[in-house]
Amino acid sequence: MQATGKDLMVSIGEYPLHQQDGENLFHGKRLIYLCWENHLMFAAPLCVPLPPTLPFGALIRDVLPELYGEHPEFEDIDWKRTQWFNSDTRFIPDVGKSLEHHGLAHKSLIRFRTPALEGSRASAGEGKQAF
Amino acid sequence: MDTRVVKKKLGLKERYAAMTRGLHWDTTYQPMDKVFPYDKYEGIKIHDWDKWEDPFRLTMDAYWKYQAEKEKKLYAVIEAFAQSHGELGVTDARYINALKLFIQGVTPLEYYAHRGFAHAGRQFTGAGARVAAQMQAVDELRHFQTETHAISHYNKYYNGMHNANHWFDNVWYLSVPKSFFEDAYSGGPFEFLTAVSFSFEYVLTNLLFVPFMSGAAHNGDLSTVTFGFSAQSDESRHMTLGIECIKFMLEQDPGNVPIVQRWMDKWFWRGYRLLTLVAMMQDYMLPKRVMSWKEAWEMYAESNGGALFADLARYGIRKPKGWDDACEGKDHISHQAWATFYQYGHAAAFHTWIPSKDELDWLSSKYPDTFQRHYRARLEHWGEQAEGKEGRWYNQILPMLCQVCQVPTLFTEPGDATEIALRETTYHGMKYHFCSDHCKEIFEHEPKKYVQAWIPVHQIYQGSCYPDEINPASPGDSPVREVIRYYGINGGEDNGEFSSSEDRQHFRQWSGRMKPQGHGE
Repeated sequence: MQATGKDLMVSIGEYPLHQQDGENLFHGKRLIYLCWENHLMFAAPLCVPLPPTLPFGALIRDVLPELYGEHPEFEDIDWKRTQWFNSDTRFIPDVGKSLEHHGLAHKSLIRFRTPALEGSRASAGEGKQAF
Repeated sequence: MDTRVVKKKLGLKERYAAMTRGLHWDTTYQPMDKVFPYDKYEGIKIHDWDKWEDPFRLTMDAYWKYQAEKEKKLYAVIEAFAQSHGELGVTDARYINALKLFIQGVTPLEYYAHRGFAHAGRQFTGAGARVAAQMQAVDELRHFQTETHAISHYNKYYNGMHNANHWFDNVWYLSVPKSFFEDAYSGGPFEFLTAVSFSFEYVLTNLLFVPFMSGAAHNGDLSTVTFGFSAQSDESRHMTLGIECIKFMLEQDPGNVPIVQRWMDKWFWRGYRLLTLVAMMQDYMLPKRVMSWKEAWEMYAESNGGALFADLARYGIRKPKGWDDACEGKDHISHQAWATFYQYGHAAAFHTWIPSKDELDWLSSKYPDTFQRHYRARLEHWGEQAEGKEGRWYNQILPMLCQVCQVPTLFTEPGDATEIALRETTYHGMKYHFCSDHCKEIFEHEPKKYVQAWIPVHQIYQGSCYPDEINPASPGDSPVREVIRYYGINGGEDNGEFSSSEDRQHFRQWSGRMKPQGHGE
């Protein structure tokens, strides 16, 4: 997705491009953001540095429990039914293949939905919704 | 024999003219445009600086006299406050956390405002605008000092205030106010005045000062109240400067209207995002509540701000683009922010807690459409956890931050409070993420500016925020703990759970209020 807004930048002199946060600064890792949809016990998506070679299976097995294991619904997740998105684009992961292979570049956002586990969309009784 | 020449004493008006515009001259050795390069490049066209109406007729000598009087009174009160152990007279030690947020996140902005106005006070071609900006620069410096002095008394007794300057430059949530002001004062002088004098001081300032100052009054904090009064007369001058500058730009050239509108869109939204911290303070951190954030928003933004933009419609100005989303947010942002600080309460420099049952009921009654439905169960769950054998939960994984406002991307989609709002774009091969359409648009208008942002979470992972002996490639089993150490925050003393804090214990001990009553006193 390219920037669509009009660049209206003005400056008094030269304004060189200086991008912070290049992948080379993260000690062989890249930043990956994760968002478990509708699970608002976690206030915001999480940001973790991960090796690009990390197999997707290891992400599920080793990384996600550390990130989301505290949630009461976590242990009930059926990973086979989980829907994965690279930002808004759905993809079917291959657990043996790396993040790189899945096109998860530096600063990519993985959103995942767990259809049976609705988090903040489920009722917790007394007019309250869960988290 | 010399005849003594009797100088005619100047009248008030002449004196004012002599002491302000009379100090100006047009340069001849160098062209004026070279001496004042900054007030042209933003694209604002000024045809006649003489049309600038001075927002307040105050000369520098009168200013000194007037401020010195106020200063004397203020320091007398601060002194009396210290003598009578005012630090123990507040409603509850939880209240002190609002002051911590103030000294950490608001006071440094006074200093930034000082720098910004000093710059604007040099760069405008028009002498009237220069004098007004210079005077405000002095005001802001004074506010920084008086706030520091007023709050320094609390620093002797409570944790979480001792290292505020260093925190401001490093700590993740303080990058929100810091980046706001750096964005403003790295703009040109007209954008700076639109950002700070208009959007912040004129449109939003009541939402900052009323919660803090009324909060102080309701919670027995006289020194902060007195500081507030001392600053208030300055603030009204600052607001007048804001509206004068806007009207001046709009009247000078029709080509200025779209530029000013874009700045209003931008700075309304940036200011609104910054106020998320205040919303949270108002609803959660004041033991004795003044009004809800929602009520304050309705009174000061929707009603007063609505009238203002109706008035500006004759210039072709409409409400800022983010207005409707901001109005919807009044039901949500304080709860979303407190949940964030609660779970990252080990990485901040103040205490957090779960509100008592009465307080939860108060929130349910003030937010009938949202609190009970979306936010209550989560807090109750955490409360039970904290009381039980699991203990209090802290989120050990750092959050994603918005590239523009630098707030964690904690806000939900307009119209759907169950889903986090996320936006992104790609610029020169790199992805950038935002909390909202409005922050994304701000980025897209000036991408080169925002790709430089010092995003605290990314800096932590790069290794910029660890003590020297820590290897950033493998920071050990608790990177957050090392970061806190680098920040100079004393983990557990300056932050974490309130009910088991030293602050609470000391307050109860020193004030003789030993009887436990739940989380409050």
